Amino acid sequence: MKGEVGLTGLNHCLSDYKDCWAHVDINSYFATLIQQENPALRGQPVGIVKESGRTCIIAASKEAKLLGVSTGSRKDEALLLAPNIRLIPAQFDFYLDATRRLKRLFESLSPEVQIFSLDEAFINLTSCKYLYRDTHTFGTLVQTKIKQELGEWVTANVGISWNRFLAKIAGETGPKGSITSINQENLDYKLATTKFTDVSGVGYRLEKRLKAIGIENLYQIKLFSNQELEKHLGPFWSKQLRKMSFGEEPNLFEHIDSNPHMKSVGRSITGYKLCNNETEIKQILYNLVLETASKARSMGLAGRQISVYLSGEGRYWFSHVTLPSYVNQNKEVFELVYHYLYKKWQRSFLVIKFGVRLSLLKPETQINQPLWPTWHKQRYLEKAVDELAQKYGLFTVRPASLLNGQLIRPEVTGFLGDKSFQLGS
Amino acid sequence: MYQTIGEEIQVAGLFKKGRFWPSKFKWYGQTFNIQKITLTAEANNGGVKLRYYSVLASGNLYRLQYNRQFETWRLMEIWCEG
Repeated sequence: MKGEVGLTGLNHCLSDYKDCWAHVDINSYFATLIQQENPALRGQPVGIVKESGRTCIIAASKEAKLLGVSTGSRKDEALLLAPNIRLIPAQFDFYLDATRRLKRLFESLSPEVQIFSLDEAFINLTSCKYLYRDTHTFGTLVQTKIKQELGEWVTANVGISWNRFLAKIAGETGPKGSITSINQENLDYKLATTKFTDVSGVGYRLEKRLKAIGIENLYQIKLFSNQELEKHLGPFWSKQLRKMSFGEEPNLFEHIDSNPHMKSVGRSITGYKLCNNETEIKQILYNLVLETASKARSMGLAGRQISVYLSGEGRYWFSHVTLPSYVNQNKEVFELVYHYLYKKWQRSFLVIKFGVRLSLLKPETQINQPLWPTWHKQRYLEKAVDELAQKYGLFTVRPASLLNGQLIRPEVTGFLGDKSFQLGS
Repeated sequence: MYQTIGEEIQVAGLFKKGRFWPSKFKWYGQTFNIQKITLTAEANNGGVKLRYYSVLASGNLYRLQYNRQFETWRLMEIWCEG
């Protein structure tokens, strides 16, 4: 069964696909939800900033994008392009809750759903493709249900194909609110017309290297021999790009849901101004450690590699330590971050960005606990503080060193790197 | 822009399909009739469950927060044009 659907491509019968995946991408997620919430902002260029007073636009509305404002633009750049742009602080709680609701919605349509990022998901339709007549029927159903769940202003692109890689290309390349499918008939056309910026896994640097040897799109990769590709791009990328040029999934997609648990947890923050105050730096690092260690504990994990990252004035400093044993207690992680790593640094620049990471995570059930009574005493204390936070809210009880100064509270990121923590999957 | 308020309010509403939907709220003695709920969201502060309702009343947007643990309502923010 075939038929034209708008400008987005052919309408394909789902049962024609042996395997069938849908990719759903909510358009301009952060900004769209804010516009859904506030009708006064609908139809206007909106830039989302992390907090009030920030100048980096972390998301732009459809209207702002049409005027050339993109993610990562600075306030002054955006004002030149869109003088009437409204800068609105992000509401991370709203975004995370909307993603949870979308996950439940998608799970009502198919037994296998993979959340790719905060605003993107893959739905495996292989086992239920006979429930939906064709790509347009399924796409329209998803779009209607999203509007019912989140509101009438929220639109989504739906891409459908036989694997996630092509479904994502289909979704990314269609106009806002479209339904696009790829099958054998239009595969070569899509591969030849899709820009590398719309290809998952191909970053700016790789695109530059490809252009340097005359490759402007995925289809052109077919014209190069394996030896030529390997010579210019190395053994890894030559194989991955070869797969992509035939519409096959690169390795990147195999890792979406393959990890049984998170490999690392961390937290970073960019301050409002360059910091030269030792007490303030210590407070911020402590605050970041509390969140990082608490995340690990709440998932029953502990790590043995601790890293700290600081940057400012166009410079950065990074250090890490790999331990023979696993840690996840606030006190021990902070000792390592601050006293073992940070204190060894001869501070040579003012700091604006701070990051802490606990890696090489392993389930606590697979780790032998130390026998020292002091370790167990500390563990009981932190467990009690965690329970108080569960009952009365985060930071109800906190170290005295965090009593003064602004608290850094947990938040979610767009790429949802900690999705197994945030979504519990 | 949004103006932070963070004050306790009183709320009346209806239970519909197993959920509570606010229909009016009282702030400083003035009653605001809710014309539309534009967005709802659930959030956690540690283990404390919060529910947000973004509502339109008298043509303006108000962000209400319901603390499910302590059963209290707060007017968190108001949208002020300009």
